[in-house]
Amino acid sequence: MTKNKILSKVKMPFCQGCGHGIIVRSIAKAMEQLGYSNHDTIIVSDIGCSGLVDPLFDTHSIHGLHGRAPALGVGVSLGLDNPNKKVIVIQGDGGVTIGLQHVLEAARRNIDITLVVMNNLLYGMTGGQISGLSTQKFKEQRHFEVDVPPFDIVKLAHASGAAFSARATSIKTYTDILKDAIEVNGFSIVEFSSLCTSYAFKKLDELQEVFEEAEVYRNERIPVRAHHKKTKSLLNNLKIIEKEFDSKIEKRAGIVLAGSAGGGVQSAAKLLATTGMFSGLHSTMKGEYPVTVGTGFSIAEVILSTTPVKYTGLETPDVVIIVSDDGWNKIKGNIKENSTIILDNSLKNEETESLKNKVVFGDFNRAAGKRGAALAALAYWINDSGMMDIEALKKSVSSHKYSKVLLEAIEARLTVFI
Amino acid sequence: MVFTDASMLITEACVKAGADVFIGYPITPSNRFYQYGTQRFPSFLAGPDEITVMQWMAGYSAAGKFPVSATAFPGLALMTEGLNMAYAMELPMLLILTQRLGPSTGSATTGAQGDLMFANGAISGHYPIPVFSHSEFEDSWDMTYEAIKTAIKFRTPVILLTSKELVMTNKSFDLSQLKEIKPVEKFSTKVEEPYKPYKTGKEMVPPYIPLGNDKYQVRVNASTHNDAGLIKKNDPESMANTRRLKEKFEKRIDEITFYDFDDQEGADKLIVTYGISADAARDAITELRDSGEKIALLIVKTMIPIPPKVMEIMDRFDSVIFVEENIGGIYKEIIYGKNAPIKVSTVNKIGSLISPSEIVKAVK
Repeated sequence: MTKNKILSKVKMPFCQGCGHGIIVRSIAKAMEQLGYSNHDTIIVSDIGCSGLVDPLFDTHSIHGLHGRAPALGVGVSLGLDNPNKKVIVIQGDGGVTIGLQHVLEAARRNIDITLVVMNNLLYGMTGGQISGLSTQKFKEQRHFEVDVPPFDIVKLAHASGAAFSARATSIKTYTDILKDAIEVNGFSIVEFSSLCTSYAFKKLDELQEVFEEAEVYRNERIPVRAHHKKTKSLLNNLKIIEKEFDSKIEKRAGIVLAGSAGGGVQSAAKLLATTGMFSGLHSTMKGEYPVTVGTGFSIAEVILSTTPVKYTGLETPDVVIIVSDDGWNKIKGNIKENSTIILDNSLKNEETESLKNKVVFGDFNRAAGKRGAALAALAYWINDSGMMDIEALKKSVSSHKYSKVLLEAIEARLTVFI
Repeated sequence: MVFTDASMLITEACVKAGADVFIGYPITPSNRFYQYGTQRFPSFLAGPDEITVMQWMAGYSAAGKFPVSATAFPGLALMTEGLNMAYAMELPMLLILTQRLGPSTGSATTGAQGDLMFANGAISGHYPIPVFSHSEFEDSWDMTYEAIKTAIKFRTPVILLTSKELVMTNKSFDLSQLKEIKPVEKFSTKVEEPYKPYKTGKEMVPPYIPLGNDKYQVRVNASTHNDAGLIKKNDPESMANTRRLKEKFEKRIDEITFYDFDDQEGADKLIVTYGISADAARDAITELRDSGEKIALLIVKTMIPIPPKVMEIMDRFDSVIFVEENIGGIYKEIIYGKNAPIKVSTVNKIGSLISPSEIVKAVK
């Protein structure tokens, strides 16, 4: 049933004197005063003492992991269709410490959530250990890590772009500050000083002495919401290729192309695969290159087959085309004796001339340039072997965005001295 | 015919099945999913890290939107915390896991089949997270659809297990071979009153109703919880709820049992494989039969939970050969443990694809 009562009738589960209960009541009061119903409110809770809040709110709730509630809340907020719903994320200082990245990311994007930080300066559920938000004055009393300052989550959130960031230290300001935070269109964060009577102080004034000053910051921003776009099937953009030419390939041919990054090797391999398709063949293609794609070797394997290809590996390639040192150095240890090797003239040396394979040298780089050499060599192979029609390659190139240059590379093969 | 890759088919199948948002963090060899995701998904978000990605996905799912992400093992390692959370919360989502050579960062651009054991044990307490695998292009399409249907039907994250060579190899393909995919109906239409977020009937899956709706108060919880979705430990209702996470799959396993079984009359040998190695096994089986061998082939697609039907098939044969691109045979170990019967043998390799000739040699 939809109602304007946010707080449930469940008894507060906190230790006697704990500050968390006051913060919970203030959240409910702020929401009620702003007119939110229980079905408009989504509480996202973390782990720790602050994570006990779910049953206290008679609202929607989602209880996640330690430190992750702000990220979970971002997902909820972006996933909601109705922007009038309010996502309130509650976590402690320990949660902020673990999930600092999530808070900054939510602030950076100015996602429409309100993050309530219940800072009791310590991890209450595990025995009172200090957190990243424990103040130095507090740590001085414990003679522990006194030289390590706390994260100022309020300033960090502000610097990251939060629409509203504040610290509240006086109980009588809680509801008003929360109303300001909740009313902000975008990311808001309020850090509260919360008394832990079990592990820190028995009295509120003792806590206030060690706590940072109250403050409020604003960034005038509009929130980032989920972008929705209508998209079209990617399959519609794929070019339909039907058989137009004949091929002499019986069963299967495997071709390896090897060169340098940026040398058009992958592009030539793709053109070879589609040339096969224009010739009525099934084809596969895969590339291999270093993770740094702009340098070093570039290798591509193409299989052309009269039947659909299942296994796409290439144990013994029929033809290996190598147009640069990078390609040769990568591949030379793995030359199979039955492969025909087509090499650029620049690779003529003792090593290549002593190969037992059938070897052909061509001046591909000089004739077609570095970027056209692989394609020129390919054109040579297609023409010389007669395995496919050179017109099928030209057809394949014709719809390419650099078709003019590529056709020149093919023609270069026809004039080059082999 | 068109020239395409399985990353594109899987992306397309996701959107056709009704996936709403792709939340990505770039990693090789899942890069193409990220690239296609930006072009095709109705919404796309660039997460700052994989931990955040999984949290955002869970938030979206709790709010009623179907999220998809794609990663590799290093990303999965970070996501596992959130995957456990989403599993306990019972939130539908799809995670595409592109396997690459490990351990650790290993070789980003070398394929592998090394992550099944991790996926099998990803949920604390050994609750099964559905793991589906695919090999051929038609399979990538169909299994993506089944993965999304399963995620919604069982309110669970599902892993689509793939590998570099499966999703980064282009092939000529006839698109007319693909079956029609219709958007999967997400939300429960039948809700038992009074509504309790985790109360279930005999289907053993709670109704899927989004956070923030105006009719029902929804409570989602990752900690041990009762039917109301509130933390309650050492309580019979909460324990039943926890046990149900396993039982819902066990009782309804037939609904998510997928495999291809190519039997041959008189065969006493069986090749068992999945994913990328299935391609080589299909070639090997043709060669073996041509040479007079009597042999059957089982390509498993429901990896986790293990369907009883799959084990029944293995039990029927005198010799069972597991073909997997890893050391020692991970799937074999999941099925038979460390003490496999003598009839079980393996063909394994790392660093490159297992070839049909290696399988043929091992069988003969």
